[in-house]
Amino acid sequence: MPAQDTMTLEIFRYHPETDSEPRFQSYEVPYDEDWVVLDAINWIKDHVDGSVTHRWSCRMGVCGSCGMMVNGEPKLTCAAFLKDYFPGSVKVEPLVNFAVERDLVVSLDGFMEKLQAVKPYIIRDDVNDTSGGEYMQTPAQLARYKQYSMCINCMLCYAACPVAGHEDEFLGPAALALGHRYNKDSRDQGQSERLDVMLMGEAIWGCTFVGECTVVCPKHVDPAGAIQQAKASAAQEYFKRFVAPKGAGV
Amino acid sequence: MSGQYHRPHRWAWFLERPGYMRFMVRELTSFFVAGYLVVFLITLARLGGGEAAFGEWVQTLGSTGWMVAHIVALVAAVWHAVTWFAAVPQAMPIFLGEDRLPAPIAAIVMGYGPWLTVTAVIVWWVLR
Amino acid sequence: MKRSSEAFWWALFSAGGVMAALFVPAFVVVTGFLLPSGDAAVVAERSAQFAAAVGWWPVKLALLGVLSLSLFHCGHRIRHTLMDLGMRGFSGLLKLPCYGGALAASVWLGWVLWGI
Repeated sequence: MPAQDTMTLEIFRYHPETDSEPRFQSYEVPYDEDWVVLDAINWIKDHVDGSVTHRWSCRMGVCGSCGMMVNGEPKLTCAAFLKDYFPGSVKVEPLVNFAVERDLVVSLDGFMEKLQAVKPYIIRDDVNDTSGGEYMQTPAQLARYKQYSMCINCMLCYAACPVAGHEDEFLGPAALALGHRYNKDSRDQGQSERLDVMLMGEAIWGCTFVGECTVVCPKHVDPAGAIQQAKASAAQEYFKRFVAPKGAGV
Repeated sequence: MSGQYHRPHRWAWFLERPGYMRFMVRELTSFFVAGYLVVFLITLARLGGGEAAFGEWVQTLGSTGWMVAHIVALVAAVWHAVTWFAAVPQAMPIFLGEDRLPAPIAAIVMGYGPWLTVTAVIVWWVLR
Repeated sequence: MKRSSEAFWWALFSAGGVMAALFVPAFVVVTGFLLPSGDAAVVAERSAQFAAAVGWWPVKLALLGVLSLSLFHCGHRIRHTLMDLGMRGFSGLLKLPCYGGALAASVWLGWVLWGI
């Protein structure tokens, strides 16, 4: 057997204490067809350069923390196999459309705010009354929102969305899909509150249905579809409030 | 927070992914469709101008330049329709109990079927 | 951030998208290929057929609805395309040519159809 194959990883480096501009650093890693890009980055951090900073946790596409740009494509690095790029090289960058904190780590601040803005939890009028037992739900009612509940907040959709990159008011694919998920939940009574938020400025209307959020989503959530459906609900609410303004006791 | 790095603004973002380019082509069809709508409005206005004015306009429409313009408009209008029907099942899910109507069937029911019907009726009306 | 009127324009865009998709290709076929092709007798007969159809008031109403919604559809999409292409700062100003143009064309169309 010949000497083990290697592969080049070009990693985006940026340390705010020392760097004013980012740079790329190349590393040779052993090539293993079972390895994913995350394995290679971990190998670099453990064996070559401990200063490389990245986020990761579960290694199995559930936690949503290892999203990065792999050769320009938003990917979960735990699901991006080296063999799909071999013998070429792999360029790893932090997700675009986010501020970079350090190396491959992006700032979550704006995303967290947007996620909270859509009130992603069940809202009930009778929250303190448990006398009726559980809130029952049929499989057909579950089917209405289940797809949109699969989101792992990996933010790949924000990196694929040109509007998220240009419009600060836009809540973005994951947050809007999650808001829609609760609006479609038969146990929820908070749609009107969420639509209040969505009807503001460019919060939802910034979306022009480019559709790439759905293309890159590792969980097949289809945020693009969810947003168009949410727009239809928001538009209905808008016209309803013309006829009967909110707070008029209707 | 200071110390964060912000990537420069990408004005040519629409060239970055094939999906962005397809999006841009879809959006640009609206310029051609709008242009054609003006032509159709002019056609109706000439019709209102009397038989002679309309006859003259129809003759003008038969010129090579207008033929080419109509071919361009047809391509744009058809692509607009095709992309619209592709989006409809995503934007308007139809559920039958627990199952969602598959996208190709939904596109036929809500898009291609009515499209074919409308087109056939209009063409028949002028040709009969 | 304030409540935006975008819901209203989006509703027109949405309805107009359906109308434009269903009707515009057929209109192109009619004005581009069916009306002007053939010998003089055929052209005259089809022109008369077209005139008779458009002269019927239900068709006039349908044309007004289909065409004005299609115009607002195009106006909205053009405005948002220009915003996505970097004119985001002019989102309010763009309403004037895009929606104003669609409105003006619709009013003109109504007047034209009234006179047919």
